[in-house]
Amino acid sequence: MSITDKIQISKNISLVSGIFCITVSLLLLLNYLQFAKSEPLESKTIEVLVERLKSEPNNDELKEEIRNFDLLVRKAYFNSRWQVKTGAFLLLFGAVVFALGLRSYYSLKAKIEQPVPESENEIFGRILAQKWIIITGSTVIVLALIASFASVDHLDSYKGNEMVAEQVTNDTDEGIEVVDVGKASDNNSLENPFTEETSETHEPVNSEVEAQQESTGSETNNSVTEPKPVSSAGAITAEQINSNYNSFRGPWGNGVSTHKNIPVNWNGASGTNLLWKIEISLPGYNSPVIWGNKVFLSGGNKEVREIYCFDINSGNLLWSKKVENIPGSPAEMPKVSDDTGLAAPSLTTDGKRVFGIFANGDIICFDMNGNRVWGRNLGMPNNHYGHSSSLITWNNKVFVQFDTNSGGKVLALNAENGETVWETKRDCGISWASPVLAVFKGKMQVILTADPIVAGYDTETGEELWKVECMMGEVGPSVTTGEGMVFAANEYARLAAIDPLTATIKWEDDYYLPEVASPVCADGLLIVATSYGILVCYDAKTGDLLWEEDYGTGFYASPVVADNKIYAIDTDGVMHILELSREAKVLGSPKLGEEGFATPAFAEGKILIRGVSGLYCFGNK
Amino acid sequence: MKPKIYILLTFLLLFLSLQLPAQQQRFPKPEFDSGYEQPDPVTPEPRSGAMEYFDVAVLLAVLSLASYLVIRKRSRQGILWLSVFSMIYFGFYRNGCICSIGGIQNVTLTFFDATYAISVTALLFFLLPLVYALFFGRTFCAGACPLGAIQDLVIIKPLSMPRWLRKTLGIFPYLYLGLAVLYAATGTDFIICRYDPFIGIFRMDAPFHMIVLGIVFLLMGMFIARPYCRFLCPYGVLLNWMSKFSKWHMSITPSKCIQCKLCTTSCPFDAIDFPTEEKVTKSSRYDAKKFIIYAAVIPLWVLIGGFVGSKSHTYLSKAHPDVYLAELLIQHPELKDDPDNIDIQTFLASGKTMDILVEDARLKRKEFYTGSWILGGFIGLVIGLTLLNQVVYRRKQDYTPNRGDCYSCGRCMDYCPVDR
Repeated sequence: MSITDKIQISKNISLVSGIFCITVSLLLLLNYLQFAKSEPLESKTIEVLVERLKSEPNNDELKEEIRNFDLLVRKAYFNSRWQVKTGAFLLLFGAVVFALGLRSYYSLKAKIEQPVPESENEIFGRILAQKWIIITGSTVIVLALIASFASVDHLDSYKGNEMVAEQVTNDTDEGIEVVDVGKASDNNSLENPFTEETSETHEPVNSEVEAQQESTGSETNNSVTEPKPVSSAGAITAEQINSNYNSFRGPWGNGVSTHKNIPVNWNGASGTNLLWKIEISLPGYNSPVIWGNKVFLSGGNKEVREIYCFDINSGNLLWSKKVENIPGSPAEMPKVSDDTGLAAPSLTTDGKRVFGIFANGDIICFDMNGNRVWGRNLGMPNNHYGHSSSLITWNNKVFVQFDTNSGGKVLALNAENGETVWETKRDCGISWASPVLAVFKGKMQVILTADPIVAGYDTETGEELWKVECMMGEVGPSVTTGEGMVFAANEYARLAAIDPLTATIKWEDDYYLPEVASPVCADGLLIVATSYGILVCYDAKTGDLLWEEDYGTGFYASPVVADNKIYAIDTDGVMHILELSREAKVLGSPKLGEEGFATPAFAEGKILIRGVSGLYCFGNK
Repeated sequence: MKPKIYILLTFLLLFLSLQLPAQQQRFPKPEFDSGYEQPDPVTPEPRSGAMEYFDVAVLLAVLSLASYLVIRKRSRQGILWLSVFSMIYFGFYRNGCICSIGGIQNVTLTFFDATYAISVTALLFFLLPLVYALFFGRTFCAGACPLGAIQDLVIIKPLSMPRWLRKTLGIFPYLYLGLAVLYAATGTDFIICRYDPFIGIFRMDAPFHMIVLGIVFLLMGMFIARPYCRFLCPYGVLLNWMSKFSKWHMSITPSKCIQCKLCTTSCPFDAIDFPTEEKVTKSSRYDAKKFIIYAAVIPLWVLIGGFVGSKSHTYLSKAHPDVYLAELLIQHPELKDDPDNIDIQTFLASGKTMDILVEDARLKRKEFYTGSWILGGFIGLVIGLTLLNQVVYRRKQDYTPNRGDCYSCGRCMDYCPVDR
């Protein structure tokens, strides 16, 4: 093939591919113009049909017509998308061939060039460059000045309070009663966790009762106050529990504290409102629990597990005790994931003793001065992330949720000697949630959630009083109670508001679901914190979504309520503080200065937060 | 294969396999009978840690190979194929992200936003080309940059640009760099990424105007070689600075220049410095006065630039989302009732008050005041120094690549008849 032939072929290839590129470009342009003009997803025809449907809501033919038309415009949309995508690939292919053809054409036609054919006059070039640099520089300056004079600072014209962003609440459907929830200070629901709304005509709690209920059709909801639970002589009292913070998520494990004057501003890094901070030598994701002036925590690694007691006023370590010499304790620690660890369960205390459990099944009890009372091993929990269910205590009993891959059970141990008082087998799979105490129909119940059941057990006998199958997956969030209901949730399952008296689901939702953080219910509001960073508030009675706040950073620690405020710390250690109300009112976003995974604890005028490196105590200075 | 390579490969495989469980979801995505596949929500998909380090390793290897091919091997063919590989890997396969050019913004944001921490891989992508430029010249531009590669491949008949035009247009990369840093520092936007003209081609998906911009750059690039690299690339500014001090830089001739002038038309980027002519040497004496004047007015350029910059802070800050939203709501409060305005509806749903939004916007505008002052001063300094540079004469005896402007593509090496 001669060089002339090669040049001719290159020329032809370039020509054909060039024409091809221009054709495809024009088609793409036409497609774009047509698409931009018609906006298939905003079809006027559908709008007209939908308008018609409002006046003829029962017209099934019209509904079918809308569906068909909707399908048609969607098909048109995706067809157009496909055309653009395919066109783009064809254009790219054409452009590559065109570029190669032209390169080949020019290189074949290239002749040896004359060295420095027309050398640029450098001096003249420099003079011209100076001129043009000054012109360009001046032009940039002039343009910037024009832009500055042409732009108006509208912020200056803002006089303040002209408009307040409001939660869009006007979407309440007709017929749904909007309950006006007063401030926490206006009623005593925060002070008294036993204020429940119950169905007086209902008997607790099995399917027979439910059937009977359905037959009578009684749905009367009256607000009554449950009698306060009475414990045995010498045992912990309800008043003591309410005035302390003795378990994971506070009194009754319900996430609501009665303490006041909690700060809304601090900074762990700069020391703002930091009363004290202490380093904790061993890692642990458990949250602090408080009794009087004593704060309790645990930590552990493969070599050693310890329980710590600190003075709440100074942060001084009062005592620390190793968890050792437990009869039956396995020689090796179980394999656990880094985000669970060996000391995930929080401690609990009844004011006389403090109880702790670890990932190897060791459970131990010390008195308030650090003297060991008893210790035993419950068997190695078969748990692929690590046991994380916290303990809770009532009436001289310590309750252990022991749901593992090998089956589930709940135990009540004698607080004085650790012996099993009762043990109830549970028909469920593994769970990482913690027990919660609540009174329904005058009976103190320990309420547990796992895959697939949410169930309540009599704290005195261990009898399963009710259960509802509504959970699935790996259940991490614990339940919360309020408004006469038990609220259980888990990601990929649902958020269910359960009436424990009828063992029925009153309402449910599956849009915002927590993965780790437990929901909290107070003042008629249900707060849910998701692992993808959204804090949501529902009307606890109706399930209506009241507000949602997207913070971008997920929540592993549970949101808690104190001093009429919601405290939710995200994994970056930013505490999102909002007013406990039906509208999202942000009160502050103080920073811990490090990551935050543990749920905070409260005392009068103080908030205690465990970070990765240590325990922080903040209070208004 | 040597035992050491076996060990290396074993470790690599082990490291990769360790990452796999972390990538598994607890619950699989739902499958549809219709065959519908859920699209990935992010483009490009997030990489596992190991794969991000793999990208860094590829960059390191490409930079090392490019430097070797330019400095030791002197192979234009090698550089060409290496740039094709980089375009395919970093461009089409990695969708143009992670990118050293965009890394400027990540680094800036790290300094100004305490809550933002740059990843090690992004930092390495930003630093490695600069370090290599300090030792070997702009070998990143020659063989590793996908944006450079795609422009390099479409050079058909490059036209030589006159000095005045090159020097004048050469101011714009500084302006772009300054704006990119300002917008990144204030958390406004990553404009280098948003207005990357070639990202739409690499991803085969972009807004229409960006596709058009990319095509325009490529069409322009057929006759004006690498227009983006020469007259816009903000990273090129930093590489230019580094390369000026490079320890080993590509040379046109492997030995002594015989002044044959064959290389003079070889560079499509006009990056070859010619030997200083006698008349130019003489002229330099007359420009001494100009040098003093230009040097003296540099502070004036900086002050004027700073002043004008600070005056434009209101205009520049309008790009920030908070400022934009606050001004929009102040000007058009009726838009509060527009359900189709996503920005406003999102704000309303946030529960944030208008007072707080305006306060945030004012604070942001204050940041812009300081930032715009610095930006204006910087641009003034650049104009002053560029002007000064026009009256600075450096005596040269041979045909040499300009250390700052040369992309080390190696075209000129093929023109040199001198053997080693």
